Amino acid sequence: MEVLLHDVDVLVPRDLDEALRVLAERRGIKVLAGGTDLLVQMRSGAVQKSDLLDVSGLWELKYVRHEDETIAIGALTTFSEIASSEVIRRHAPVLAEAAETVGSVQIMNKGTIGGNVVNASPAADSLPALYVHDAELKLASLKGTRTVGITEFYRGYKRLDMRPDELLVEVRLRAEKGGEVGHFFKHGLRQGDAISVVNGAVLLDLEGDLVRGAAIALGAVAPTVVRAHEAERALKGRRLREDVMWEAARAVLRSISPIDDVRGSAAYRRELSVNYVFMTLWRIAREVGVL
Amino acid sequence: MVHRIEREFSFVLNGKPVKVRAPPAYSLLEVLRYELRMTGTKEGCARGDCGECTVLIDGEPVHACLTAMTQVEGRRVTTIEGIDPGHPLVRAFVESGAVQCGHCTPGLIVASYALLSRNPRPTEEEVRDAIRGNLCRCTGYAKVVAAVLRAAGA
Repeated sequence: MEVLLHDVDVLVPRDLDEALRVLAERRGIKVLAGGTDLLVQMRSGAVQKSDLLDVSGLWELKYVRHEDETIAIGALTTFSEIASSEVIRRHAPVLAEAAETVGSVQIMNKGTIGGNVVNASPAADSLPALYVHDAELKLASLKGTRTVGITEFYRGYKRLDMRPDELLVEVRLRAEKGGEVGHFFKHGLRQGDAISVVNGAVLLDLEGDLVRGAAIALGAVAPTVVRAHEAERALKGRRLREDVMWEAARAVLRSISPIDDVRGSAAYRRELSVNYVFMTLWRIAREVGVL
Repeated sequence: MVHRIEREFSFVLNGKPVKVRAPPAYSLLEVLRYELRMTGTKEGCARGDCGECTVLIDGEPVHACLTAMTQVEGRRVTTIEGIDPGHPLVRAFVESGAVQCGHCTPGLIVASYALLSRNPRPTEEEVRDAIRGNLCRCTGYAKVVAAVLRAAGA
């Protein structure tokens, strides 16, 4: 049964300052960015109907900047803008790959990185890329601005380190260093436009075939996106050879706790996780010419 | 008690300025079909999966079902009614047999129109990528892709 939104008011702030004032004064109001998830959830009844603060027109929160070793992305930057940004393609290609697979062209044109982060779906496609890039989130309120690391931000399933009067204004990530190479992967039930059954990102710091550093994150296999620390440890300081890759891929099982749901069973997700991590490591090894 | 909140929205629809009163959280799809009686834009899933309600906002394809009316204010909206029936793309859909039941056709034409506007000579892969969010359950896409390529003069 569809919930009608005829009695939902939508406030449109003129600027960021006004948006923060509304958030401070009107408890219970929800922030609307691209609307690709919130409007669907509200109409289906999955999210309680409430008034909305439509921030999608705040152009000051749409930007990609390269600041020294950091990439700063305005929270309202769309996935189309991220996928086509030269700065992101060059310095955070794992995120560019994730942005390209987040959904259809129509979804990429509306969905924002800030919305993806705050909506907090464990299957959100930008998140594994943000985890391997050690992203930090800049939250603003009338009381000031604070920065939270992405792993600290998610406290549990859809539980965030974020007050109701705060707005996510910027996502900051470490630019890829020389020697680093990585990829995003996604298993959806439909290639063009799907919610991930399993997704993830692998970022290796290589010197020849020696793994100096490894970051692996997986989504849709736990209440939040997780870093696969056991798998990372299985790689660090070792040569990128097939047996090492298998050992690391199997080690991801120690970091995940998938469930059965409409998109796939827990057993299927475990198998996908191992195989996709292996395939991604193998792809990287082939690309850098060590396999 | 049911109460209805309404606001007035002004935007440019297919080149003409329009004003419409509607609840601000209503979608552009609901307002096009039920307030403005512009029924060319179809409702399929109403949740961003099927692409049937694709319209252009400032030239970019988006789902009308996921666009709140506040996100339309002051913008340029193009629907299937804004594309000339004699446009080579429309003619190519007819001539290639790219239409069967027709429900997905407006969304497919609008999405392809956006592609050809910025890339007049797309490859087959680029065509398939541009319409990857548009579901068709009749044609199997082969004739749709052929139609877009034909309109592009390929």
